[in-house]
Amino acid sequence: MTDDRLELPSYLDHTPEVRERIETLKARPVVMSVEGLTREFDAGGVRTTALSRVSFEVRKREFISVIGPSGCGKSTLIRILAGLDYPTSGVVRLDGLAVQGPGADRGMVFQAYTLFPWLTVKKNVMFGLKMKGIAPASAERQALDWLEVVGLQDAADKYPGQLSGGMKQRVAIARALANQPRILLMDEPFGALDAQTRCSMQAHLLKIWDAVDVTVLFITHDLEEAVYLSDRIVVLGANPGRIVEIIDVPVARPRGPDQFLSGHFLATKQRLEELIHGPQMFEARGRTRAA
Amino acid sequence: MAGRLPEGEVDASTFDPMEEPVRPRLLAVRQPLSPRANLLVGFLAFAVPLALWCALSYLPFVWHPLVLVQDPGDTSVAGTYAYLAEGQLVEREVFAARNVELGRAGKKLARGERSNPVYFQPPHAVARALYTAFTTPPEGIGDVWFHQSLLQSCKVIFWGFFWSAVFGLPIGIACGTFSFFSRLFEPFVDFIRYMPAPVFGALAVSIFGLAEEPKVAIIFIGTFFQMVLVVANTTRTVDLSLLQAAQTLGAKNRQLVVHVVIPGILPALYRDVRILIGWAWTYLVVAELIGEKTGLSAFIYQQQRYRHFDNVYAAIVIIGLVGLGIDQLLGFLGRYLFPWESGNLRLVRLARGVKKALPGGMRAAKAVST
Repeated sequence: MTDDRLELPSYLDHTPEVRERIETLKARPVVMSVEGLTREFDAGGVRTTALSRVSFEVRKREFISVIGPSGCGKSTLIRILAGLDYPTSGVVRLDGLAVQGPGADRGMVFQAYTLFPWLTVKKNVMFGLKMKGIAPASAERQALDWLEVVGLQDAADKYPGQLSGGMKQRVAIARALANQPRILLMDEPFGALDAQTRCSMQAHLLKIWDAVDVTVLFITHDLEEAVYLSDRIVVLGANPGRIVEIIDVPVARPRGPDQFLSGHFLATKQRLEELIHGPQMFEARGRTRAA
Repeated sequence: MAGRLPEGEVDASTFDPMEEPVRPRLLAVRQPLSPRANLLVGFLAFAVPLALWCALSYLPFVWHPLVLVQDPGDTSVAGTYAYLAEGQLVEREVFAARNVELGRAGKKLARGERSNPVYFQPPHAVARALYTAFTTPPEGIGDVWFHQSLLQSCKVIFWGFFWSAVFGLPIGIACGTFSFFSRLFEPFVDFIRYMPAPVFGALAVSIFGLAEEPKVAIIFIGTFFQMVLVVANTTRTVDLSLLQAAQTLGAKNRQLVVHVVIPGILPALYRDVRILIGWAWTYLVVAELIGEKTGLSAFIYQQQRYRHFDNVYAAIVIIGLVGLGIDQLLGFLGRYLFPWESGNLRLVRLARGVKKALPGGMRAAKAVST
């Protein structure tokens, strides 16, 4: 019997370079803090706990992912962070102030593109600025700048219906960024895209994040996506939704697809798999081998 | 490939389904018709009823239940049916019975031709009336020209619908957006909407007098309550995720209504209005016959009393044509008004062209208005 599994480093082993980056991140100020968040739903007399005492902090300019199996409450979590839902107990603070309802200081990108179909691409990006009462000429200039950041300046006068899924999501990112939010919340933004588009969108998002001063909280169920993009990964468990581990991603930056097969990348991915699917999966495979 | 197959087997790769052109089936579920079929079926929609009408009018053996007496025969013969006179329309059985009476007496038989009742007018008579209705001067004192009747009707429809839109659209949108207004208005509106508009006729006359106002009020009552409910339901179809996206972009209540709800439902609202205008036309006749009779309904009522049934049909056809015309016009405009739905960017390009042509002009105009 041969074991062809790779000998991987531990995901807790950090190279000096990675360790230094993690240290600098920890020294940064906290942008958003999530404190003891619990959310219970009451459906027909049956009480279910979607989130149970979830606490973590997001630091300035950090890219943090939240991952977990379906039903772990990741969508509930991001909706509460955005102010679209309310916790049963606990509090979300943005720059130390408790969040109450949705606001322009937290931009959000949804999985379903949610562009306004009756507005051109440019006017979609101008929407938040218009709500703030910024003069149209200035808003238009800013919108065009943001479209350039996402590489869609040529599509400014098109309607969302004329764009592909990936392009729509780039417009949605530009629209959220135009408000210069303190944090960008992304709820499985690439979940509806095909594999190739998703790959290029991930690289694109890293480039934008590099160029723009923004903190990102990213919800996903794709393990590779989480490792590829994030500084830290919050892993949620289901029933009730709770934090099982927060992983410092030991992969160096800048990131590239060539790292997908690096030891640290694979080790992190394996750890995520254990946490999400449980160690039983690995044991089960061991048993079939023995038999 | 094909050569290596044993005999009798068909090589699937040589079978080309495109060899035989696939004809779209006439009855395919939710599939568009071919352009030719589209045109043909649309033509048949009007041609078949017209052909039926022609058959009933011009082919004596199809229906023609009466006989037009041309010569009553020998009128000196007594009998149950001796009242037959020239130019009279009698039932075929009566005509036949009279001829039996005359035949028994051995006198000259009555002559006549099969004919339709006077209320059933042939197409050519109605077509002629469509023209002569406009050229015939008013008959009685106080009567009006046909085109004046038409104008009166259009005015009643316009004002009735105008007022119901002025109140119905905002209230409907408020109901569809805020549960508070929905709870406040909808139960009551639902209650009133089951009362047929005509029952308010006498009331409307007592309040508004005999002239145009009570008629406008009936059209208003007939459309307003429906409009509130229809618009509220349309408003509720706004994609919730768009409202949430707008909220995360900083939009507050009033901004959500003005910048998301209203533009979001505009195309559907436009379709609703098209349907509701049809409702207004259905209440027209009831409205115009209360108080002092006016408009097309008065014309129809009068022509019916004069037994000018060709004019009656002409007026009915005119109502149909005006209604259809308005609907088609709105449908045509709709294709240009909402480019994000139709993909028709002609109006957008025109607007951009105008904007470019007057770069200073637009801003100056805006500055003046603010």
